[in-house]
Amino acid sequence: MTIVRVVAAGCGLAALLWAQQFKFNLEHLAAKASDAVDVSLNKDMLQFAGKFLSDKDSDEAKAKAMISGLEGIYIKSFEFAKDGAWTQADLDQVRNQLKPPEWGRIVGVKSAEDNENVEVWVRHESGKVTGIAVLATEPRGFTVANIVGNVNLDSLANLGGQFGLPKMKATPAPAKK
Amino acid sequence: MDWLEDELKNALSRKEPGEGFDERVLAAARRRNVVAMPRRWMAAAAAVIVLAGAGEAYRWHRGQEAKEQVMLAMRITGHKLNLVQARIAGERQ
Repeated sequence: MTIVRVVAAGCGLAALLWAQQFKFNLEHLAAKASDAVDVSLNKDMLQFAGKFLSDKDSDEAKAKAMISGLEGIYIKSFEFAKDGAWTQADLDQVRNQLKPPEWGRIVGVKSAEDNENVEVWVRHESGKVTGIAVLATEPRGFTVANIVGNVNLDSLANLGGQFGLPKMKATPAPAKK
Repeated sequence: MDWLEDELKNALSRKEPGEGFDERVLAAARRRNVVAMPRRWMAAAAAVIVLAGAGEAYRWHRGQEAKEQVMLAMRITGHKLNLVQARIAGERQ
């Protein structure tokens, strides 16, 4: 019975890792977090969710169109009550898995104002985009997202200002000394 | 003891049932079936309806959860990408 459970757990883990393109390994941060979000949706669940997304609601219709070509969405996002809850090692162990030639960082921004850093990585296979990774950190926040599948970058770029979020205004970069 | 034997023989002797006895028994049996069968079927049908309803309610609940997760994922990813967009647009200005 134990062997069956171990094999079943192994198969489950293998299926999860196959769908997810890199490991998060961030469970230890959940205990420290004041707020934690854990989204784990494989292709079946995305298709299932799609049946409940309305075509009449603008946001839901956009989400429905976006998930139609996806294989999975995996997100871990933590907010902390005080600074220093996460370490550079937490970020590095995720970042170190995003290796070329499959993975390439397309953009990374640092905000001196609120000390927030965001990196967007894209996974290519046979010339096609097969997934993206978003790493976002701030003193009291840590977010990792892996969107698996044929990601439409234009659609993703248009996400800003939607889903009830105000579109952020461009702030001029600080003058270089 | 002859009188006792006579009494017993008389009491235990075979007696023919009254006229229409067979029909009355069969009619009573039919009435019982007519009443009992629908109750059983109604109970089974009710159980099926309850189970189907519970299954559908569970499916709807799971669907709503999945939908909320998708929308939450889009909000989080959209917010982070929005930061990138705003920052890049700021660099260009």
